[in-house]
Amino acid sequence: MNQPLAYVNPQAKVATNVVIEPFVSIDKNVVIEEGTWIGSNVTILEGARIGKNCRIFPGAVISAIPQDMKFAGEDTIVKIGNNVTIREFVTINRGTKASYETVIGDNTLLMAYVHVAHDCIIGNNVVMANAAMLSGHIVIDDWAIIGGMVPIHQFCHIGAHSIIQGGALVSKDVPPYTKAGRLPLSYVGVNSIGLRRRGFTPEVITKIQEIYRIIFVKGYNVAQAVEIIEAKVEPTPERDEILSFIANSSRGIMKGYSRQRNKNLFSDTV
Amino acid sequence: MNQPLAYVSPQAKVATNVVIEPFVSIDKNVVIEEGTWIGSNVTILEGARIGKNCRIFPGAVISAIPQDMKYAGEDTIVKIGNNVTVREFVTINKGTKVNYETVVGDNTLLMAYVHVAHDCIIGNNVILANAVTLGGHVVIDDWTILGGMVGVHQFVHIGSNSMIADGCIVRKDVPPYTKSARQPLSYVGINSIGLRRRGFSMEVINQIQEIYRIIYLKGYNVSQALKIIEAEVDALAERDEILSFISNSPLGIMKGYSKLTAK
Repeated sequence: MNQPLAYVNPQAKVATNVVIEPFVSIDKNVVIEEGTWIGSNVTILEGARIGKNCRIFPGAVISAIPQDMKFAGEDTIVKIGNNVTIREFVTINRGTKASYETVIGDNTLLMAYVHVAHDCIIGNNVVMANAAMLSGHIVIDDWAIIGGMVPIHQFCHIGAHSIIQGGALVSKDVPPYTKAGRLPLSYVGVNSIGLRRRGFTPEVITKIQEIYRIIFVKGYNVAQAVEIIEAKVEPTPERDEILSFIANSSRGIMKGYSRQRNKNLFSDTV
Repeated sequence: MNQPLAYVSPQAKVATNVVIEPFVSIDKNVVIEEGTWIGSNVTILEGARIGKNCRIFPGAVISAIPQDMKYAGEDTIVKIGNNVTVREFVTINKGTKVNYETVVGDNTLLMAYVHVAHDCIIGNNVILANAVTLGGHVVIDDWTILGGMVGVHQFVHIGSNSMIADGCIVRKDVPPYTKSARQPLSYVGINSIGLRRRGFSMEVINQIQEIYRIIYLKGYNVSQALKIIEAEVDALAERDEILSFISNSPLGIMKGYSKLTAK
């Protein structure tokens, strides 16, 4: 904590064993809990609440004001859980009056150049690869993995255990347990490797696959598919999670992959 | 080297004529050789080995730990050659236990926001344009140019003298001397301008073009094409480089562009 080459505002609450490297700047109204490491040139501004054993790498900026025209100086915060790794040049903006906070869950890894905008809610054990960019009000559920250089449209909801291909463009909701890729973003299967790693049984994975086959592969529209699933698939926690995700999806969910549509998309490029 | 506003660990080995600007932070176990310039706000962490006459621009972070779940604190390094230019906010991570080092060759230019991940091996005279992002274990051979905002998947090998268009996502190996673009990444010709600039003769360039015509345009699959090239094209350093590149490509090489392929 004793770092003559850093600026720590006397009103900041920094636990005694926090390591602060040179040229760090910590503003007032900041809380940093035990065991956290703050790399050089990090800037932590008003409203940051940082948990235990986090690592914040050089150049990151936490809790700058939102990049939102509506913002009028409200007193909002950024809440970061425990064991979170925040790599170089990540920017995490604080909330607006919409939800007053931006939240990052425990054990989450934000790789270099990631941007987390105002009012985003990121769950636990999430991985965001390099330069993934969130806009405002995005919700990412636990265990999701966002590939490198993926931009996500505001108000999107990314379901638990889903994985999004590097370089994809996300402008629709991505349901839980899925793999998403291609342009426009499409369902390309169930995230079976991720599920297996996290101890889901093959029976449960097959069940999930069946549900998504009805939604994306059989040619029904979403409302029809939901009806069929409700009628024919026996209730499991995963089934109910998928159905409630779809029912609560304000932007609508991504499409199934269609060879024909993709062909049309690239037919003009020679 | 005398900079009261910077922090240099007493255990770092910094040559006397290295210029260090204000607010630089240099950790222990760092070596910086003669003639290098370190811009303001640069952070150089444990394990960096920086050569002669490099220029490191403001905000860059060299030798932070890998962004890899497997990494368990092994003692690994980043090796940067001579005359390397590292622009603003570039991040270069050190190696994991897979090969213990990340390497950047001589005369290479890494433009602003480039990310070089753990265990990458970048050759000499390479140019990575703005915001190029490499996954782990990527190998880039000499004289290659990657356009802006290109993303490269982990374990990809990119051949020498090749050139990749802006904004592409690279998931397959890119053979030497080629130009590639489009989505999914495809062969769109050989890098003839680059080759001419580097003094390749017209005959050699034509020979390379002939080889890639067999691989990508005549409708053969890769193993057929290799057999034909071995049988019909005269042995030549470039021919052998292409053949060995393709036979040592566990990921497989990028596709030809289907519209150009003979039906």
